[in-house]
Formats: sequence, C-alpha cells, structure tokens
Amino acid sequence: MRSEWIKYAATGAIILLALVFPLLGVKSYYLHVAILGLLHAILALGLNLIAGYTGQLSLAQAAFFGIGSYVSALLMLNVKMSFWLAAPIGACAAALVGILFGLPTLRLKGPYFVISTLGFGEIIRLVFLNWESVTRGPNGLTGIPAPDDVALGFVTLTFDTKTGAYYLVLVTLLAVLALYYNLVYSRIGRALRAIHSDQIAAEVMGINLTFYKVFAFALSAFLSGLAGALYAGYIRFISPDTFTIGEAVNILIMMVLGGMGTIAGPIIGAVSITYLLETMRVFADYRLIIYGLLMFFIILYMPQGLVGVLAMAKDFLAARFPLPISRGTDEPPGQKGAAPVKGEI
Amino acid sequence: MLQEFIQQIVNGLVLGSTYTLIALGLTMIYGILGIVNWAHGELYMLGAFAGLYLAVVLKLPFIVALLGAMIILAVCGMLLERLVFRPLRQAPELNMIIGTLGISIFLMNTAIVLFSPNPLSFPTEYSNEYLSFLGIAITMQRLLVFFITVVLIALLNYLIKYTELGKAMRACEQNPDAARLMGIDINRISLVTCAIGAALAAAAGVLVGPIFLVSPQMGLLAIAKVFAVVILGGMGNVEGAIWSAFILGLAESLTAGFFSSDYKDIITFFILIAVLIFRPQGLFGNNVIEKV
Repeated sequence: MRSEWIKYAATGAIILLALVFPLLGVKSYYLHVAILGLLHAILALGLNLIAGYTGQLSLAQAAFFGIGSYVSALLMLNVKMSFWLAAPIGACAAALVGILFGLPTLRLKGPYFVISTLGFGEIIRLVFLNWESVTRGPNGLTGIPAPDDVALGFVTLTFDTKTGAYYLVLVTLLAVLALYYNLVYSRIGRALRAIHSDQIAAEVMGINLTFYKVFAFALSAFLSGLAGALYAGYIRFISPDTFTIGEAVNILIMMVLGGMGTIAGPIIGAVSITYLLETMRVFADYRLIIYGLLMFFIILYMPQGLVGVLAMAKDFLAARFPLPISRGTDEPPGQKGAAPVKGEI
Repeated sequence: MLQEFIQQIVNGLVLGSTYTLIALGLTMIYGILGIVNWAHGELYMLGAFAGLYLAVVLKLPFIVALLGAMIILAVCGMLLERLVFRPLRQAPELNMIIGTLGISIFLMNTAIVLFSPNPLSFPTEYSNEYLSFLGIAITMQRLLVFFITVVLIALLNYLIKYTELGKAMRACEQNPDAARLMGIDINRISLVTCAIGAALAAAAGVLVGPIFLVSPQMGLLAIAKVFAVVILGGMGNVEGAIWSAFILGLAESLTAGFFSSDYKDIITFFILIAVLIFRPQGLFGNNVIEKV
C-alpha cells in the first residue's frame, strides 16, 4: 500500500540521515546536542511505554535515569568494571528497583501511582545527595571512564570521542526501537493498550493487570537506566542535579509534545525539544511557560501531539492531491477493512 | 532538651497548618470535581506573592493583606475552574493529570519571569514580636499561623456542615448526578469549591511567607508534601486531611530537630509510600480504594 511504502521510505531516510550525520562536518557542539537528543529519545520512549501505552503516568523516570547512571558509574570507578558489563547491570538495577516499587503501587487505581512516583523520585534524589560515603553527595562522581575500545579484528572502535559516543547511542536507540516495535505490536503491547482503555474490562478479558503493569514499568525503568549508563559513559561526570523532578517533567513534555502512545512521537519530541533547549538559551525563561501551555492545549485538543498533526497534514494533502498511482491500488470505497484477516484470532 | 522539643513542636504545628490549608483545597477539589489539581501548589505560591505585594509594596496591615490575597486568589481559582478544569472534566484521568501539570509549569515559570527566581523576604509587623514561654521565644508570626488556621478550619467546618451551600457541596461530592436532579447547579458549586480552595492555599502562602521565604518554586516543593498529606488522610476526606497534615508536619520537624534535616523530606515520602502499601485508603479513610 502506498501509505505504508511512504512510511518505510521516510523511516529509512531518517535512519540513513542519522547514520551519516557526524560525517557531514557538523560542529562538535551540534553533535553533542544530537547525542543528548538521542539519549532523551530513549528516556521518552521509556516513559511512553508506561504512560502512553499503559496509561500510568510516572514522574520517577529521572530517578531511574539516575540509578542507571550511578550504579554503572560506581561499578566502573570502584570495581574497575568495563562499561560493557556495567551498563547492562546499571539498567537491570533500575529495572529491579522499578519492580520492587511498582509491585505495591501499581495495584492502586486512580491518581495514587503518579503521586507516589513523585515521592519516590524525590527519595532517590535525596539518597544521591545525602549518601555521601558512596555517591559523594552534591559533588557528584567525576572521572568516569569512557567505554573501552572494541577490537573487531580489522578495525578498532573507540568511544572517547563525540563521534564514537554518537554512534554508540544511535545504535542503542535503534536496538531499543526494534525491541519496541516488536513489543508494541505483540500480544503484550495489545494487553498494555487494553489496560490503558479500561482496566476492569482488561482484567475481565483475562489480562493479569499487575503483571503487565509491573512489566511495562520495569521495562521503562530499564530503558531509563540504560540511558543513564550511556549518559555517564559520555558526560563522565554525574551529580544529583541532573536527576530532578524537573528532568522528569522535561521527559514528560517531550513525550506529550511528540505524541503519547506512538513510537515516532517520543523521538520527534525528544530530539526537537533537546535542540530547542540547547540552542535557544536566550529564551530559556519563556520556554517553559510556552511548554506548559502547549502541554495543556495538546492534551486537550490534540492528544497525539506532533505525530497527530503530521498524520492530519498527511490526510489533508492526500485528500487534496491524490497521486495517480494510488488509483486502483487502494481498496474500493465501502470495502475498507472488510477483508478477512488471516491468522489472528 | 525540653526547650528544643517544644520548639520543634511549634515548628511542626506551623508546618502542619500550612499543609492543612493547602491540602483542604486540594482534597475538596478532588472530592467535588474529581480532578487532581497539580497546579494547587502554584495557588499557594501566587497567594504568597499577592500578600507580599499588598503588605510590603502597598504597606497594608498584615491581616488586610491576608484577606486581600485570599480574595485575589479566589478569583484566580474561579478562572482556573472555568478555563482549565471544566474543559478537562470529560478527559481521561491521565490527560487531566498532564493538563494540570502543564498549567503548573506555566504558572511557576510565569512567576519566575515576573518576580525573578530569587527568594524574597516578607517582613511583617509580627516578625519581630516574640512571646516568651517556658524560657523559649516564639515569634508572633508562628502563633498567628496556627491561630488563623484554626479559625479558617472552623469557618470551613461551619460552611460545609451548616449552610445550604455546604449541603449542596456535600451532595455533589456524594453523587453528582443525583445532586443535579435535585436542582443543584454543579458548575456553580465547582466554581465556589475552587474559589474556596484557592483562597485557603493563598492564606497558607501569606501566613508562612514571612517565616520561610517567598519564591516561585515554593509551590512545587509544597505540593509533593501536600499530596502525601492528602493520601494519608484519604483522598477527598476533609477531616482526614487536617489530622494527617499535623501528623506529617510534626514528624517532619521532629525528624529535622532530633535526627538530621537531610532526612526530613525523606520521612514524609517514606510515610507516603508505606501508607500506599499498607493502608491505601488513608489513615482516616473509610471510603474503599479501588484496587485493580
């Protein structure tokens, strides 16, 4: 189908552009902004899994981001563990904390979960700040090593440059996307969306609510923790100032503006907002005023965010300018969706 | 030892009064409109700035400034109901939370631009008057916070229990559809509820602004604690909110006084999470929480 084809072509073009981006001779500063944008895309995708798909808003994502950062950084500094082992352990630690915290709190319906994540995020930040013997308190951890070189026989990959870090984050994001895509359109993804629409109805249909909600939360914590480990390996300095409620709100704004409950939305939101945050520091004060208002109006009139706007623009253009090749390939009117579906019960 | 203990009790009562006044509005709005108002801390912050302006710039007496700020914020509360809550009432719960959170970000950052992010001091005629008692000196301002809070709680209690308006509010809380059938104008009740809630939050801001400092971020810091209070008391439960506000206020100040002030914020959230795990309907709640 034509629209599918356009979608694949556009996705391919964007991935290609992302792959050659550092080779275009961009200034190192813009490469830095791009790395931060991709890291935030992983964070926003993590939040989207629990909020956009499952309908349980979490303000603890910055805390999981921090747990991933601190655990992997401490392993690298104190045990001299390699980044390649420390990063997955950091992400798993975040997921484990997510399970322990989610098990009691995700059982409650209503606003309780989101409020407890707010409290939890504050507790974790205060632990980073006050457990000075381990986290070095407000001074943070310095001298975190870059990921070790990887020898592939004919070529050695290094990660202590911006280009190396960019590719590491990009490849991670692509892997996350592959996983995400398969998850969202699987049985699990359908269960999560069913929980979002109506928890009681989902439970009646035989969906184990606690299991799926905790699963989604743990996976979202894992993704945030992974982003944290990558962040620690790239910036090489972490402090409690990064992992605040403000950061959790930033991630939320990225997801909402890009489009909740979509795959492309959080990435679009994260990359564009990180770019605006970094480059428009002149408007720093007014920025959040605008984002706050946008969040309200988008949630009220356009819950699918920028992705929804793009979809509307596409439909509008398709209605005004039908391409000749599309005739005959589309289904005849009235038959839409009536074709028998094979294989799916 | 005893002196310090009494000092911390007084601090706890001041904190508890603040939390009570903010929590009352939050829990009433949840009970009657069904909306978790994340922007409620911002009403407290705007109230403090309104009071600061009236008392310091216009040089009005403190009590007049307090009443003035409450009236200004009551109008803000009504605007909030009309422009934000009413459009959001039909939306799914997740969207309500994100919507009011957006308004909270908007209000806080507008205040940062208008008033600068730096904390301002708010001197009043009661700041330097002391009352000596058992060898400890307590500022009049702290006593005033507690007494005005008690007066406001008494007034609210009278309003809810003994007036026609209060009866209508309780009816809307119990069953909005039945209330509408009895001829109660739900929109009017919502407006009044938001006006009262905002005025109480403003009173909290004006009362403690002189003790702590006034800054655009004070709302964000307060709202997390107040949510803990509201959950501890049972969402929508006015009486429970009052008791749990004082329990948390005292727990916080005693922790700060006898252990370390590093842990005073942690203790609140620990209590919150413990309550959510073991007694999610709140300490005083008898309304059953939907557990799914």
